[in-house]
Amino acid sequence: MSKKPKAAIFDFAGCEGDELQIANLEEQLLDLLNIVEVVSFREVMTEHSDDYDIAFIEGSVTRDHDAERLKRIRDNADIVVAIGACATIGGINSIRNTQDHEEVKQRVYGDKGDMFESWDKAKAVDAVIDVDYKVHGCPIDRDEFLHVVKSLVMGKEPNIPDYPVCVECKLNENVCAFERDEFCVGPVTRAGCDACCVNEGTICWGCRGLIDNPNEDAHMEVLEEYGLTPEEVMKKFSLYFNWQEEAREDE
Amino acid sequence: MSAEESIYLPETATIVDTKEMTEREKLFEVELDSGEELGHEPGQFVELSIPGIGEAPISVSSAPTKEGHTFELCVRAVGNVTNALHRKEKGDKIGIRGPYGTSFPVEELEGRNLLFIAGGLGIAPLRSLINYVIDKREDFQDVNILYGCRKPCELLYEDEVEDWRTNDELDYRETVDECPDDVCWEGNVGVITTLIPGVDIDVENTYSVVCGPPIMYKFVLQELEEKELPAEQIYLSMERRMKCGVGKCGHCQINGEEGEYYACQDGPVFNYADVQGFEEAI
Amino acid sequence: MKIIDKEDLDSFVADMIEKGEKEVVGVQEKGHKYAFQELKRAEDLRLDYDVTMLPPKKYFMPQREDLLEYEKDEDLSLEGVNEVVPRIIIGIHPYDLIAIEQMDRVFSDTYEDEHYLKKRKESVLIGVNMQEVSEWSFAASMGTATTDYGYDLMLTDLGDRYAIEIGSSKGSDLLERYCVDLKEAKSEDIESVEREKEKIKESFEKEFEFSPESLPWLMEQGYEKKEFWEEHAEDCYSCGSCNLVCPTCYCFDVQDISDLSLGGGKRTRKWDGCLLESFAVVASGENFREERSERYRHRYMRKGKYLYDMFGDIACVGCGRCSSHCVPDIADPTVVFNELMEEVR
Ligand SMILES: Cc1cc2nc3c(=O)[nH]c(=O)nc-3n(C[C@H](O)[C@H](O)[C@H](O)COP(=O)(O)OP(=O)(O)OC[C@H]3O[C@@H](n4cnc5c(N)ncnc54)[C@H](O)[C@@H]3O)c2cc1C
Ligand code: SF4
Ligand code: SF4
Ligand code: SF4
Ligand code: SF4
Ligand code: SF4
Ligand code: FES
Repeated sequence: MSKKPKAAIFDFAGCEGDELQIANLEEQLLDLLNIVEVVSFREVMTEHSDDYDIAFIEGSVTRDHDAERLKRIRDNADIVVAIGACATIGGINSIRNTQDHEEVKQRVYGDKGDMFESWDKAKAVDAVIDVDYKVHGCPIDRDEFLHVVKSLVMGKEPNIPDYPVCVECKLNENVCAFERDEFCVGPVTRAGCDACCVNEGTICWGCRGLIDNPNEDAHMEVLEEYGLTPEEVMKKFSLYFNWQEEAREDE
Repeated sequence: MSAEESIYLPETATIVDTKEMTEREKLFEVELDSGEELGHEPGQFVELSIPGIGEAPISVSSAPTKEGHTFELCVRAVGNVTNALHRKEKGDKIGIRGPYGTSFPVEELEGRNLLFIAGGLGIAPLRSLINYVIDKREDFQDVNILYGCRKPCELLYEDEVEDWRTNDELDYRETVDECPDDVCWEGNVGVITTLIPGVDIDVENTYSVVCGPPIMYKFVLQELEEKELPAEQIYLSMERRMKCGVGKCGHCQINGEEGEYYACQDGPVFNYADVQGFEEAI
Repeated sequence: MKIIDKEDLDSFVADMIEKGEKEVVGVQEKGHKYAFQELKRAEDLRLDYDVTMLPPKKYFMPQREDLLEYEKDEDLSLEGVNEVVPRIIIGIHPYDLIAIEQMDRVFSDTYEDEHYLKKRKESVLIGVNMQEVSEWSFAASMGTATTDYGYDLMLTDLGDRYAIEIGSSKGSDLLERYCVDLKEAKSEDIESVEREKEKIKESFEKEFEFSPESLPWLMEQGYEKKEFWEEHAEDCYSCGSCNLVCPTCYCFDVQDISDLSLGGGKRTRKWDGCLLESFAVVASGENFREERSERYRHRYMRKGKYLYDMFGDIACVGCGRCSSHCVPDIADPTVVFNELMEEVR
C-alpha cells in the first residue's frame, strides 16, 4: 500500500456510535491522521471525495438505495472494512428480522409506516457487497479499530480473534456470569473486546457476533439446563445473532 | 536485556541479495550483522522476524559447506511475514533467531545410497543437504533426486537444477502434476509417486530423505514401503505451526497414542520409524 | 518449625506491605470468589479460601507480557524486555506450589526462558495448608494436598496461631527481616500440624478410582477410543477455559504490536490454549487438530501422559479449576479419567 492511504468513512442504518468512537480517539486521532488521509467523514468534516483506498462502513443495509450506494463504494475502494455490529452482523437492527415486518413498521413509524421504503430484513454489509475486514462490536473497540488501520497500512492481515469471549474473560480473572446465576452468550461470541462487559460486572450479550464455528446447540442446551426457558434462550440468541444465523441457514 | 537473557530476542541481519525464483518464491541471501556464521546443519531452520509483522520458521536452504558466511532462505509468500519479506530489498534489515531443531543425520548417511524426494517447496530444506552431498560427493554412494511440483513454472532453483540434470554423479528426475499446453516440458507428467517405481532401491543400503506438503507424505511413504525400504532408513522434514521455535509455546506438538513430539525440538527432521505410530504425524 | 500468633502474623504481613521492599500479593475475595491480588491491607488476606480463579502462575508468566521492543529508523534495533516485579506471594496452596515446580522445569528445559525464570527467582512463596477444600478439587488423589517442598515458608492454621515451616533461606530471611514474635514449635505443635495435614487429605469429595501412576498407561490405551472422546467433547465450546485456568498449562501465542507511528513497537506473548480451534492451524490453512474431540483429547493426553513422558510429572495437580470453569461441565478430570478407565478395562 502507498505511503499514506486515503480513507473514507460512511454511515448507513446505525446509531453512528462507531463513528463517535473514532471521532473520540482524541490525541490518537492526530497520530492516526499521520498514517492515513481521511477524505470523507460526515461526522467531523464537510469535504468529500470519491478518491479513497480504504472505505469504512458503519450501519446495516435496509433499502435498495443503500445497496446501490454500497456498490459504488465497493467500486471506488481497494479495501472495504465493515465497522460495528450493524455493519458486520446486521446488529441490533436485525432483531426485527424474526418479527412481523408490518408490525415493526407500524411500531416504529406509526401511521407513516408506508412512507418509508425499507426491506423486511436488516442486512449486514457483506450480504450486499464483498467485505474485506470486519471490526466487530457495538460499539467498536477503539484499540481494535486502530489495530486494523495500522495493520492495513503496514500490509498485514489484521488479527481478529476467532475464539470466544470466555478466553478474555478468563485472562481477566472475572467471576463467570454462570457462577453469579446469570446467563451469558460469551461462549459462542467472538472475542476482541477484552470481555469488557463482564469486566464491568455484567454479562456478554453477543454484540461481536458468533465465532466462525460456534457450538450453539451445546450452549442452548446449557442455558436451558441453567434454568432458562426455550423462549428466553431464543431471546438471548436473537439480540445479535439473527443475521448470522439466517446467512448460515441460506448456505 | 541481552540476547543471552532472552531466548526470544533475534539478532539483526541484513538481506545481501534477493532473487525472484517463481511468482511466489524468492531466495534471500542473508548475513548476520554480527558477522558470524549461522553455524547450522542441513535440515535446521531459523525464526525470521519482520518486527511489527511477526516471526516465521524458515528452513535454511543453503549448505553449511557454502562459501562465505551468508546463508540462504527460500521463501514462499503466503501470509503476513512471508509477504512482508517479499517486499524487502537488498540492504534491508530483518531479525534472525536460531538455527533450531534437528538436522539430517549426515554421518549416518555417509557411505550410503541417497534417495531425495522433494515436493514443491520441500526442496528448500533438502537443497541444504543436496548441496552438502554434492560438495562432499565422495563420502556418499549413488544419489537419486526426485523433484516434483505442480507446474513447470513452479520449479525452484532453476540454474542449480540444470546442473543436477547434467551432473553425471547424480541421477536426477523431475515431474510436474500438470503441464499447460503452451509450455515446453521434457520431464515426466504425473504426481511424484510415479517416479518412485523407476528408481533402484537397495533396501540394505539406501536412505531416503523426504520433504513436501503434508498430503505428499502419505503417498510417498506408501510407495517406499512397497519397495520394502525399512522405516529406519527414511527421514522426513515436517512442518507445523510454530510460534517460539524453542520448545515453549506448545504450538508445534505432534501427538499420537505412544507420545508426542515438539516439531521445533524433536524435529523438524524425524526418522520415520519414530513417528510412524503417531496419528497426527502423517 | 516456628509458631506465630494470628495477630502477629497480621503485623508480619502489615510490616511487609508497609516497608514495600517487594510487592506483597495475597489471596483476596473477588466477587464471591477468590483471586491472588496485590495486598494493600493485611486484613484483606483470606487464608481460609478454597481455590483462586487463576493460579499464581500469572506472576511468573503474566497473561500478557512484552518480550521485546523494536525500533525501525535507519537501522533496526531490537531489545529484550523483562518487567520483573519482585513479589512476596502469600497463601499458595500445596497443589499450586507443586504446579510451580513443574513450570520451573518446563521453562528451564533446554532453552532457559528468563522471562519466566527471572520473575520466579525474584519471588518469595508463602504457602498455606488448605483450610477449605473446593468441591471440584481432587488434590488428595494426585498426592498434592500437602507438600514438603516448593515453598519458602509454609503456614498451617492451628486455631489461634499458625505453624510456620521454613523451606528455604529466602523464607528464613523474610522472617528475620520482618517478624518480631516467633516461638519455637513444641512437639505437640508438630503433631497438630501432621494431624491437620491428615485431616485435609480426608476432606476431598472428588477422587480417582485408581492410582494416578496408571495414567500414562491409561492414556495410551484410551487414545484410540474415538467414540469416547467424541461423546465427551460433544458439548465443548472450544473456549479454552480449561487450559487458561490450569496451573500447569503454559502454551502461548506471540503477536507484534506496532506503535501508531509504525516506527516501533513490541512483541508480546499471551496465554493460549490447545482447546482453541486455531491452535494448530498452519499457514496453508491445514488444521492438524481440527475436530473438537481431537483437541479435547489432547488436553487429557498432555495432563496424563505427554508431559509425564517429557518431565516425569503427571501434569495435573488436582486443583479442580478446569472443571469448575467449564460452563457445560465436561472438563472434570476425575470424571473423564475414571470413565476412561471403565472403558479400557
Ligand atoms: C520447520 C519449518 C520450516 C519451514 N521452512 C520454510 C521455508 O523454507 N520456506 C517457506 O516459504 N516456508 C517455510 N515454512 C513455512 C512457513 O513457516 C510459513 O509459511 C510461515 O510461517 C507463514 O507465515 P506468515 O506470517 O507469512 O503467514 P500467516 O498466514 O500470516 O501466518 C501467521 C501465523 O499464523 C498462523 N496461521 C496461519 N493461518 C492461520 C489461521 N487461519 N488461523 C490462525 N492462525 C493461522 C501461521 O501458522 C503462522 O504461525 C516452514 C515451516 C516450518 C515449521
Ligand atoms: S462470563 Fe460469559 S464470557 Fe465470561 S467466562 Fe462466563 S460464559 Fe464466558
Ligand atoms: S462482552 Fe460481549 S456484549 Fe460486551 S462488548 Fe464484548 S462481545 Fe459485546
Ligand atoms: S472442555 Fe469446557 S472449558 Fe474446555 S474448551 Fe471445552 S467447553 Fe471450554
Ligand atoms: S487439569 Fe484441571 S484439575 Fe488438573 S491441574 Fe489443570 S486445572 Fe487443575
Ligand atoms: S494442555 Fe494444551 S494448553 Fe495446556 S500445556 Fe498442554 S498443550 Fe498447552
Ligand atoms: S514452536 Fe513453540 S514449542 Fe515448538
